[in-house]
Amino acid sequence: MPANLSKHIAAAFWPTLFTVLGLMAWEAAVHVTGMRSIILPPPSEIFAVIVARYDLLLAHLWPSIYLTVLGFLLAVVGGILVAIVITYSEIIRRGFYPVIVVSQVIPKIAIAPLFVVWFGTGTMSSLLLAFLISFFPMTINAAMGFQSVDEDIQRMARTFMGTRWQIFWKIRMPNALPYIFAGMKISITLAIIGVIVAEFVASQEGIGYLIKLAGGLLDTPLMMAAITVLSIAGLALYWIIAVAESRAVYWQAPAEAVGGGG
Amino acid sequence: MTSLAASRAMDMDVPAPDQERGRVSVLRVASVRKVYDQLEAIREVTLDVVDGEFVSVLGPSGCGKSTLLMMIAGLVDVTGGGIVINGTPVNGPRREVGVVFQSPVLLPWRTVLQNVMFPVELLRLPQAEYKARALDLLRMAKIDDFVDMLPRQLSGGMRQRTAICRALVHNPSILLMDEPFSALDAITRDEMAIELLRIWQVNRKTVLFVTHSIREAVLLSDRVLVMGRRPATIIEELRVDIPRPRHIGMTEDESFNRMVRHLRRAIETSHAG
Repeated sequence: MPANLSKHIAAAFWPTLFTVLGLMAWEAAVHVTGMRSIILPPPSEIFAVIVARYDLLLAHLWPSIYLTVLGFLLAVVGGILVAIVITYSEIIRRGFYPVIVVSQVIPKIAIAPLFVVWFGTGTMSSLLLAFLISFFPMTINAAMGFQSVDEDIQRMARTFMGTRWQIFWKIRMPNALPYIFAGMKISITLAIIGVIVAEFVASQEGIGYLIKLAGGLLDTPLMMAAITVLSIAGLALYWIIAVAESRAVYWQAPAEAVGGGG
Repeated sequence: MTSLAASRAMDMDVPAPDQERGRVSVLRVASVRKVYDQLEAIREVTLDVVDGEFVSVLGPSGCGKSTLLMMIAGLVDVTGGGIVINGTPVNGPRREVGVVFQSPVLLPWRTVLQNVMFPVELLRLPQAEYKARALDLLRMAKIDDFVDMLPRQLSGGMRQRTAICRALVHNPSILLMDEPFSALDAITRDEMAIELLRIWQVNRKTVLFVTHSIREAVLLSDRVLVMGRRPATIIEELRVDIPRPRHIGMTEDESFNRMVRHLRRAIETSHAG
């Protein structure tokens, strides 16, 4: 574990260094040019706003995260279930699956106002948009995972007279896990987008609402503080999935961190 | 489903007394034919394998010898003729058959031991009893130090050893091997052949071994059947009377090489014709 930890630290060193350097350059540029903070506040000011108004930020962050996670979980469960149906039903696979794939050309963000018409300005619109937008990548990835079982492995299981049920739990499911996690990583970021967009369009709370409100008040530091908090929360959610993945998909060699050379 | 229950009931492995060995027919392939979309893959194959015998089917790549093995394993239907294992016609995979494929086909998320136990789970055999057997097999295959490792941590040879243990764990009466060493390098390949003989010497399973290596066939077998090009039939049969236990040094012997030459000529004539 310690060796593992030091490896992680080594991998994080360069990105962290570049981030810090970037923030310092930003800070210096604002001070040198005398840019007004309504246009571009320096990082120090954004940080100060986060500290000073953390209760306001958290009060709006919480409902957004709650709806994101809920919509995401619904998408994961729903996506896996639909993927199983796609895997085992030839009719669904040949009739429904292509429709799902083609429906991906519809920009789901564009139908957010429609959701408001249908479901009102409450949390339902946010939740449904988060679900809808994250459901498709989840389904497609899981379906691919269930179906991409090596031909030889299926043959091997047949020689031992494996039942459908055994083959599903002992082969298809573990085989699909890496795909499911890949889908989850895409879905969680999309779920956040879904919630924020829904909150832009119509909501009385949430971090998306706060960003829009601060924009309307020309309070750029608050707006950027809200964006920062949202980004950190999104990163945390992604990280949770990545950690769960490395535990669940223990048999795959850990991928080298991109840019982690040192 | 009744045939399944029956085959499970009669599987209890009672070793035949020595004088009976080599007499009881375990596998009988009678005038088997296989046609894929009007393409004749196997014209007519008849063979008989008796209890405890090690028989190789030798032939060039793509001659249909793997198809023959898959039909015996119950994975591919025959177009004509019939296959009988232990007196019962084959019409699907059977409990008393163990198969080793060209590649190890291990499940990457399972450790060596869990992979070997996979058939035990699928066939719902008593775990504790068969775990002891799995560990015995792994010890015999000299991979008992690696039981908790994942396939990706193993060498190609160790993976194929694991696959052989998996094919034997449920105590089948016949072991079918489909070019099991063809993915290995030449040195590992010889090593594995000797290892296989050692394991076989202890277990004395009936083995049907498909290969395109003449040398391997002679080194391992009691009997070598040569299959000609498509549409395939058996064109030559050779009894290998080299004493057992065999070792790699025997491949230098004149009698060994005479047999290799004989088989090569048989294959070449089939090509010309």
